[in-house]
Amino acid sequence: MIKYFSDIFTAVSTIAGGMFITLTHLVKAKKGIATLQYPEERWPRPERNIGFNSESYNVIRSRLHVDMDDCIGCLKCERACPVDCIKIETAKAPERGEDIKDVKHVGITTNGTRKAMVVTRFDIDMTECCYCNLCTYPCPEECIFMTGGPNGKKHPIDYEFSEPDRSDLIYRFAKPGTKEGMENILNEKSKVEA
Amino acid sequence: MTVDFIFDGLNQLFPAVAGNDFFLIIAMLLPVAALLGFITIYGFGVIYSEIKVSSFIQDKTGPMGQGPGLHAGKWGLLQPVADGIKLFIKEDIIPASADKPLFILAPFLIFIGALTAFIAVPFGEKIIIVDMNIGIFYIIGVGSLAVIALILAGWSSNNKWALFGGMRSAAQIISYEIPAGISLVVVIMLASSLNMQEIIAYQEGGLFNWIIFDNPFMPIVFVIFFISALAETNRTPFDLPESESELVAGFVTEYSGTRYAIFFLSEYANMFVISAVAATAFLGGWQSPFENFLNTPAWSVFWMISKTFFLIFVMIWVRWTVPRLRVDQLMHLCWKVFIPIGLFNVFAVAIWIVVIG
Amino acid sequence: MGVVHGEEMVLNIGPQHPATHGVLRLQVRTDGEVVSQITPYMGYLHRCFEKHSENVTYEQVIPFTDRCDYLSSMSMNFGYVVAMERLMEIKVNDRVEHIRVVMAELQRIASHLLCTGVFGLDLGAFTPFLWALRDRERILDLFELTCGARLLYNYMWVGGLSHDIPVGFVESTFEFLDYFEPKVDELENILAHNKILVERSADIGVMPKDVAISYGVTGPNLRASGVKWDLRKNDPYSIYDRFEFDVPIGEGQKGTVGDCWDRFYVRIIEIRESVKIIRQALASMPKEGDVHQSLPKKIRPPKGSVYARTETPRGDLGYYIESDGSPIPYRVKMRSPAFTALSVLDEIGAGWLLSDVLAILGSLDIVLGEIDR
Repeated sequence: MIKYFSDIFTAVSTIAGGMFITLTHLVKAKKGIATLQYPEERWPRPERNIGFNSESYNVIRSRLHVDMDDCIGCLKCERACPVDCIKIETAKAPERGEDIKDVKHVGITTNGTRKAMVVTRFDIDMTECCYCNLCTYPCPEECIFMTGGPNGKKHPIDYEFSEPDRSDLIYRFAKPGTKEGMENILNEKSKVEA
Repeated sequence: MTVDFIFDGLNQLFPAVAGNDFFLIIAMLLPVAALLGFITIYGFGVIYSEIKVSSFIQDKTGPMGQGPGLHAGKWGLLQPVADGIKLFIKEDIIPASADKPLFILAPFLIFIGALTAFIAVPFGEKIIIVDMNIGIFYIIGVGSLAVIALILAGWSSNNKWALFGGMRSAAQIISYEIPAGISLVVVIMLASSLNMQEIIAYQEGGLFNWIIFDNPFMPIVFVIFFISALAETNRTPFDLPESESELVAGFVTEYSGTRYAIFFLSEYANMFVISAVAATAFLGGWQSPFENFLNTPAWSVFWMISKTFFLIFVMIWVRWTVPRLRVDQLMHLCWKVFIPIGLFNVFAVAIWIVVIG
Repeated sequence: MGVVHGEEMVLNIGPQHPATHGVLRLQVRTDGEVVSQITPYMGYLHRCFEKHSENVTYEQVIPFTDRCDYLSSMSMNFGYVVAMERLMEIKVNDRVEHIRVVMAELQRIASHLLCTGVFGLDLGAFTPFLWALRDRERILDLFELTCGARLLYNYMWVGGLSHDIPVGFVESTFEFLDYFEPKVDELENILAHNKILVERSADIGVMPKDVAISYGVTGPNLRASGVKWDLRKNDPYSIYDRFEFDVPIGEGQKGTVGDCWDRFYVRIIEIRESVKIIRQALASMPKEGDVHQSLPKKIRPPKGSVYARTETPRGDLGYYIESDGSPIPYRVKMRSPAFTALSVLDEIGAGWLLSDVLAILGSLDIVLGEIDR
């Protein structure tokens, strides 16, 4: 009998306590609200001050981007990718470190490396990308990166990208016509040699 | 009362054809049309407040927008309208293996139950569609119609979840009518009338003449009635028939579009009716809380509506606070807690009336 | 009074059901509302983690471990790198160890918050769930600050971390902890002691000590059954032996030892213990130290195998890694804690009502990504 009434008492008191907690949230609604009106407001992205040597860190997870003028076609990113979403094809350049005007190939990177390869295909399938960031670390020229971060001035962050068609999410970074152009150049070269 | 008023008015307006049946039908249909309009507007309002109250409790903003268009209006005011439009233009799906006539009948039945109960609700000193001498009894009686609709919905869907929901609701609503009824018996004993207006008239003269403060047992009676009302309207913590984390959606699993909207609206209409009954029976109905303060027929509507809405707010507030009971605990609460205490209250109040009152 | 037996009905809970925490299908035989048998069918989320690992290099396995238990990715990373470092005999410096412990414990809080919130949701209380998610967001913000990702981090590497913590991380973590501690009390007040929740969970789904041990249940579920077993204490890895914290066990405060309420409450106490560990770790973290110091140039472990276990929010996570001397693992086997927790469901769940089965399932805190792998 005592238990019967004590049960009723605990039920009433605990539920009243819970209702008091929710009431305080309701009354203080203005202060406690945690949601944002997404398209108008955005969550402030944390300022990443790594402190030292911030250029070598890329602590952003967003859309991958490649600066093709800097790419030397070393295939390191392709090998690092755990899901094989990067596809690279290269052709041997006729002269190491020289520009090829026909395919808009730049011979020397901003770091001063002379390119031995011409990248004829550089596709990143963003539908497969798992945003692990593993491809950005081995790059010797720091030409593949996730937009934002150290390159934020040149390429603002883009993590809300969307496309109406799934195939549009395959980003083709190689300059259009490079493959055919290089084939022509190499054919001509072999003809001359013959 | 309103029906008589309109009928008399029409007769005076057209003395040549006074007293014909056509006027009677108009006098009956006009309030019903007004009622339907009221339920729709009230539905929008209460759904909006449910969204917003729950959002604020949960530290969210709820629907927000800067204006009509893609957003749901200023502060999301148009959200219930958008929800309504969405539900009404949805494809009407009837499962292939459903019992078609019963499946179609169920939402109508539950809406009839909710709508007819409104007829005896005293909205104000002068505004009550039909002032029956058995008003409170009528509302309780009509309210039971819902249980048939819920069983029909659960059974005819031919879905195991819906069947569970229907069976649970049958057990739940029938059980909880008893403590609710016992609580109202106490009120009827005090007011010695079944008429809504007479019950309110009994509570004349300010806050402390309300039935809830009539004697020391009445707050308990009110709490029992209110919790039973929650159970009868399938609100949390008694939303077992449609408990979404167990039974997917319970008896409305197979319903969509307009039919689902009708179920949805009926739940909120039932909330209004049951809160209005609670306000009438315990909180003085349309009486002002203070004697001779704003106690005119026009203000009476305000008092009634605000009391009812306060109780609806409490229902919403409870819903977003507490977890759900289990089936056997629900029955335990009803048969082993509410009914014994309710019966004790009946005796105690009876003795109180004889000895003190 | 005899029990009336009616016709049995077979009911499929899931794979699409609000309470199955992912894509799990429970085939239950019910007699009315009483469940007589539960058969879990899983595999809807099978992604060939173990086979996939045999085709990628050691460092490429780490993003896949993230995706096994997506609610505690840091802990999954941690278990893998601990195993790999044991295999390659790498000793990482103190700063790395401290950062790893802080991350793992933050992840434990985040995971337990979700579990306690979802347990309330399974029982019909919607509000605490959103409060828990709100605080979890703050933790995810800290992770975003650190490594850019909010859910799948790939932060811990074999022999170090992908990068150092940013400037201001320690301060913002302390700030978060100060904000967070009152919120745990609030969560406990609205949920743990609520009479309805106690009624729904106390004495329900009791998992006795011997059943828990014989099924191999670990983590908070085992501790709730009254077994003081925590790998952070019993088999310390990393630097957990340097911190002071308690291992909470189920005491049967509201019912029997090992019931749903104990499993739920142990997690709330563990959140507090994790806060303690984070405070100690942040205070004693060395200021200097390169997180890339012991990063191997090429991950090519010697021939051999290793089994290392760590304590994730869900229990003992074991990685068995066999190396044949090449840069690609010969075999990676994961012992997942949630799998054993799910296998005990039929043992402790049969005989209860349908609502209780879902409460028991919620209290076991399973993650389907980890079970199916």
